[in-house]
Amino acid sequence: MIITHLNLGILLTRIWRSMVDVRIAGARSSTKPNVSAEISNLVTPGDVITADTGFMRGHGTYMEDEKLYASVAGVVERVNKLICVKPLKTRYNGEIGDVVIGRILEVGTRRWKVDTHAKLDSVLMLSSVNLPGGELRRRSEEDEKMMRHYLKEGDLISAEVQSLFSDGALSLHTRSLKYGKLSQGQLVSISPSLIKRRKTHFHNLPCGASIILGNNGYVWICPTINEEVEQTGGYEQNLEPIQKSDREVIARLRNCVLALAEHKMMLYDTSVLYTFEASLRYSVKETVKPEVMADIIEVAQQRLEREGT
Amino acid sequence: MLTSKTFVKKTKRGRIIKIVREHYLRDDITCGSESCQICDPFDFGQPLVAEPENKSRLCLTPHYIIPDTNVVLHQMDVMEDSSVQNVVILQTVLDEVRHRSSPGYKRLKSMLANPSKHFFTFCNEFNKNTYVERQKGESSNDRNDRAIREATSWYQDHLRSEGQSDLIIDVVLLTNDADNRRKAIQQGLKAFTVHEYVKSLENCGHLVDLLSQSQMSVHSQDRLMFPEHLPLSEIQRGIKAGRYFQGSFMASRENYLEANVSVHNKDEMVFIQGHMNQNRAVHSDVVAIEMLPEEEWSCPSSMVLEESSEKIVEDSMETEDEAIKRKKIPKELRQPTGRIVGIIKRNWRQYCGILRPSAVKEGTRHIVVPAEKKIPKIRIETRQAADLITQRIVVAIDNWPRNSRYPQGHFVRKLGNIGDKDTENEVLLLEHDVPHSNFSEAVLACLPKLPWIITDEDYKRRRDLRHIDICSVDPPGCTDIDDALHCRELENGNLEIGVHIADVSHFIRPGTAIDKEAAERGTTVYLTDRRIDMVPELLSSNLCSLRSNVERFAFSILWEMTHDADVVGTSFTKSVIKSKAAFTYAEAQMKIDDTAQNDSLTRSLRHLNRLAKILKQRRVDAGALTLASPEIRFHIDSETHEPIDVQAKQIMETNSMVEEFMLLANVASAKKTLEEFPDCACLRRHPAPPPSNFEPVIKAALSKGFNIDVSKGKALADSLQSAVVPSDPYFNTMLRIMTTRCMMQAVYFCSGMIPETEYFHYGLAAGIYTHFTSPIRRFSDIIVHRLLAVCIGADASYPSLTEKHKTQVVCNNLNYRHKMAQYAGRASVNLHTHIFFKNRTTNEEGYVLFVRQNALQVLIPKYGLEGTLYLSDGKTKSKPRFTYNEEANTQTCGSVTFHVFDQVIIELSIDQSNVQHLKLCLKLVKPEIPGFSVPAHSSEDSEPPKKKQKKGQTKK
Amino acid sequence: MAGLELLSDQGFRIDGRRPHELRKIQCRLGVFNQADGSAYIEQGNTKVLAAVYGPHEIRGSRSKVLHDKVLVNCQYSMATFSTGERKRRPRGDRKSQEMTMHLQQTFDAAIQTSLYPRSQIDIFVEVLQSDGGNYCASVNASTLALIDAGIALRDYVCACSSSFVNDTPLTDINYLEESSGSPEIIAATLPKSEQIVFLEMNGRLHEDNLSRVTDMAVKGCKDIHDILDQVVRDHVSEVSTVHGWEN
Repeated sequence: MIITHLNLGILLTRIWRSMVDVRIAGARSSTKPNVSAEISNLVTPGDVITADTGFMRGHGTYMEDEKLYASVAGVVERVNKLICVKPLKTRYNGEIGDVVIGRILEVGTRRWKVDTHAKLDSVLMLSSVNLPGGELRRRSEEDEKMMRHYLKEGDLISAEVQSLFSDGALSLHTRSLKYGKLSQGQLVSISPSLIKRRKTHFHNLPCGASIILGNNGYVWICPTINEEVEQTGGYEQNLEPIQKSDREVIARLRNCVLALAEHKMMLYDTSVLYTFEASLRYSVKETVKPEVMADIIEVAQQRLEREGT
Repeated sequence: MLTSKTFVKKTKRGRIIKIVREHYLRDDITCGSESCQICDPFDFGQPLVAEPENKSRLCLTPHYIIPDTNVVLHQMDVMEDSSVQNVVILQTVLDEVRHRSSPGYKRLKSMLANPSKHFFTFCNEFNKNTYVERQKGESSNDRNDRAIREATSWYQDHLRSEGQSDLIIDVVLLTNDADNRRKAIQQGLKAFTVHEYVKSLENCGHLVDLLSQSQMSVHSQDRLMFPEHLPLSEIQRGIKAGRYFQGSFMASRENYLEANVSVHNKDEMVFIQGHMNQNRAVHSDVVAIEMLPEEEWSCPSSMVLEESSEKIVEDSMETEDEAIKRKKIPKELRQPTGRIVGIIKRNWRQYCGILRPSAVKEGTRHIVVPAEKKIPKIRIETRQAADLITQRIVVAIDNWPRNSRYPQGHFVRKLGNIGDKDTENEVLLLEHDVPHSNFSEAVLACLPKLPWIITDEDYKRRRDLRHIDICSVDPPGCTDIDDALHCRELENGNLEIGVHIADVSHFIRPGTAIDKEAAERGTTVYLTDRRIDMVPELLSSNLCSLRSNVERFAFSILWEMTHDADVVGTSFTKSVIKSKAAFTYAEAQMKIDDTAQNDSLTRSLRHLNRLAKILKQRRVDAGALTLASPEIRFHIDSETHEPIDVQAKQIMETNSMVEEFMLLANVASAKKTLEEFPDCACLRRHPAPPPSNFEPVIKAALSKGFNIDVSKGKALADSLQSAVVPSDPYFNTMLRIMTTRCMMQAVYFCSGMIPETEYFHYGLAAGIYTHFTSPIRRFSDIIVHRLLAVCIGADASYPSLTEKHKTQVVCNNLNYRHKMAQYAGRASVNLHTHIFFKNRTTNEEGYVLFVRQNALQVLIPKYGLEGTLYLSDGKTKSKPRFTYNEEANTQTCGSVTFHVFDQVIIELSIDQSNVQHLKLCLKLVKPEIPGFSVPAHSSEDSEPPKKKQKKGQTKK
Repeated sequence: MAGLELLSDQGFRIDGRRPHELRKIQCRLGVFNQADGSAYIEQGNTKVLAAVYGPHEIRGSRSKVLHDKVLVNCQYSMATFSTGERKRRPRGDRKSQEMTMHLQQTFDAAIQTSLYPRSQIDIFVEVLQSDGGNYCASVNASTLALIDAGIALRDYVCACSSSFVNDTPLTDINYLEESSGSPEIIAATLPKSEQIVFLEMNGRLHEDNLSRVTDMAVKGCKDIHDILDQVVRDHVSEVSTVHGWEN
């Protein structure tokens, strides 16, 4: 047998420097800070949380042999007698009143199916939407026939969680002028757990764009909405061309949102805005680079801490 | 524990594919030295002693020895010597040895396992400090050499590093590779050749003789050159292309210039003739051959040619080859003939032999004549020639250079004086590879403690057959009684027959040392004056032996039979029996024949005898062959252990009676085990011989006017039965003897390994067969016992019992041991024949068995002896000329013509001209041929008082 | 030439491990953004990527909907370049289909399926490099990906193989040991509760040795669990620290 001892480990890469900036994942310096000591009350699936029977079983836990076990990896949270484990990442668990962004998947009889990044598709009943020409009108057969005319497959909407079905599916409504069909803008999808719950999730940012931070992790960025004119709750789309400057702002915002998500920062108006402002030192193109992202985030984070928001 | 890993890339032949393998390097590998304070020691202590005493003039400090691969491989005998201790075998070396020579690897492993040798394997390839990576352009050999140096250097530093005790231990690298040595010395290591080192040792004169003579210079006057062997790569290419063939080389016993090669995947043998064509192949080597053009094909000369030991024939090789070539062989006789182009694998072992007296007494170069005639003479170098000349010695072949007529070897050890019976026995045991050392402590520890008693628990688990009248029938003097029989009448009028076999598997538990030893020995070997037991005597002659009037464990087969020997039911059980009597065949025969006796034992014997005859008839009807082979029995003087009389064995009815029931038991157990274990039953088969094997018999019978039909076993049996010459009662026996020689070897096999159609046993005409009835002396029977015990739920199964590959491996060993035991037995008979005739000259009646070109093969029925009568040895011109007629297979001289089966009178004596090699010498007495035959010996040798048994034979 | 010696007299395997030692394990969670959970694992030279999607609405045929539990859908495939010789059919062959089925069964037992009625979880496994123990690495990677996706599990599922050579059980066997013809036991367990969720045996092994070899595999699973658990804990700690979840 011929045995040759040679080192393996040549990765063939070609780098087109002039055109695209390509880098190997492994060559990237780790942008994450080296892990601090393990945090307390951290559990992983199968861990016993408590053998005390006086507690109630919450999300991320299960009972067996009178013991409470964790079923996901995360931090134990206790609210009175209720014990939950919140995983880092999960599908969107809807709560009534949440603002969500969704995409129409299907037009059915008297209802639309909407993707909201939940475990099951959400439902938007025909009866839960504002129809043109008055809020309190009966839904007629005509309306059923017109459903696809109002919202068709692929359309994006903003909505609010109205109720939960027994299997966990969400029922949405758009019975407010805030909600309704979205026209031009950009959708970014991040982990739902990164969206901070606020009074309002609709923000007109001073930088010249609007942002809707859906509780389901979908973030909508669009040109500034003129409230009087455009909050129609209607079904018209404004398809006028958007100016290049606005588009740049939107693109920059998008990169900022992604940067925040990448660094597991919570998203809310201030954090987005600070990040945006921190990014102004760079061109939009540069902000997708990991090291630039890290830099921006660091600046924004420092500012947030300083100002104590 | 895991420190790091590197990737090792390998390429395979054929398609180039890259294989990436992990290789973990560790930091927890001990250096194995007792004095080491750093490494973690083994639980059982470190193998290398703290103060090694290898007294060498080259290295005065205490040291460990690190040999390289070639040193280990070529100087195995030196390594094995008990004075060589404290050796570090590197993993690199061990791996290389494993790849290059599997017998060498085995020997090395047994050395490593021997704690008194203080050998230690250092896993340098897995040690992070000693692992070296192959560099670009470096051959793997160079890389390994470097690894060896690296490890040596590590040892040197390690043993001197801080924290070690004050006594400094050195390491010495032994390598015969000059380049390696030079580099090692450059690195500051101590490196020597083995020869330098061994010669520098104190009081190790005997070690020098053990040194392999790889660089021994050859006589310069040897002009002859063997053709060069092709390199292995070329051979492989040639074999692929069909130019060469691979086969095993089988030298002829009778003519050293002739040999055959059994080519793999071919039925036919390829004939090899002459020194040049044989090209240094030694018996049992795996060789590559090339076929000669058809016009150069030849055939065996039917000459019995022995290299005379007196003549020095150093340079007659070419002449001998020439002589062969000159002879024209008629076309029709030509056989496929080839020549050897290369050696694929040497299968050299150690050979017994004697030193041929050298012309120069003080010279150190000597020729050894091996005891096995198939092995060429071996040249060795020794200073103890004067000592060794009277001894039987063991030598090893080291190499065979192109310009040497003989292979070169070295002396290994001496066995004892030539002619000494113990020495001669030792030789034949060694030559037949019979393990005959005393049982080790570990084996003896497996024996039950005496006094051995049967517990109540045992009675509960076994069927109690102690009340039944059981007896055994065996040859006289038999102490390992492994079978006993009974027969009794049942209430329903049928008969119950029981065959009780010693329950050896009760004592030999799987996986124990005694089990391994028995599996290795495979069989008990019977020499004329000695028995080499498979299991220790306590078992073979006592606890397992079914002696009379003691309670013994047995494995019983019970049949219910009608009076017409039809089996109604069969059952197997483990039992306790108490034999009522241990008869000899003759005693049993007498009991049957003596009408006055009518006790239950006698009646049961008569029943058995009657049933056996029916069974035998059925078997013969089915086509079983009754064959004959001359067997003889020596009467040994109880004082001197010298044979005082020889006679052919007597066969009585009772022999056949016992045999029939053993056959029945064997077939029954074969059926039962196969039914339960279709994939891993241990069976015995006997392949039908190819018709061509029978040619000599057919030819010989035809000369007497009989037609032998060999198309089927049954036809053969019938035609043998009918070939009777009333005037010559021995003719039929001779024919059967000849037929026996045409048969194939019966072999053990594992049922899952071959198709069912090949299970057949030709000789017994049985569909399936196995051995069950002699577990004391055959290991196969122990396996069958175990399988049967599992079948009936009497014992638990164990892993390797049901693995067909493992069973087959065991079977292969058994077949080999069995064959060797037979050969050893025959050789022992030969040896005793020589001793017997040493001081005797007798005239005996004989028959011509074969006619050869220059000799007659003569069988002497009285002694069951076969000898060669040379018709012309070419030395004396005055002798009358014999004419050999190849067609008719006759030799004619004047008015006398010898045919096969002709009766002759022969004078038997021992040729004592060569003290070291006694030969049985036959001379013709009748028919008289002037100038050739000798006068009848006047005084017939003292007829011993014999034929006590005659009475039993005549009556029925 | 002698055959391979899988276990030397000195107690080392071909690659230098002792019989009870695992290969080096390296793994990472969250290697993809699109997937709900993903993980990458290296067990020696066996390298596997796993991605988990869901739970989500069942796509395709409605008939697959299970009303009381989640549908676990797996797909096992081997990259064409994963073996010494290029594979032509990375997922069409029967071995992959069988593997897919085995994975499905394994995770059906470990996921708390009743929590997600009428939905579906997809587990995609891709073997990037194969050096023995593909199933084991696939299971371990999938477990990590499921944890990353925040899907409720009864426990980790860890898989480990073992073999039996020279009367000694070997753990976590590599390709060479796997293809040597010696018996192979593959066990997937819930290490904390020591329940076996999947057990497969190839080759012939005597009953007497079965428990020893199985124990070796189960022990291997526990060792693997300890390593995986540490990685998960590090990962969660790191992320939650940034989140500011630490109280």
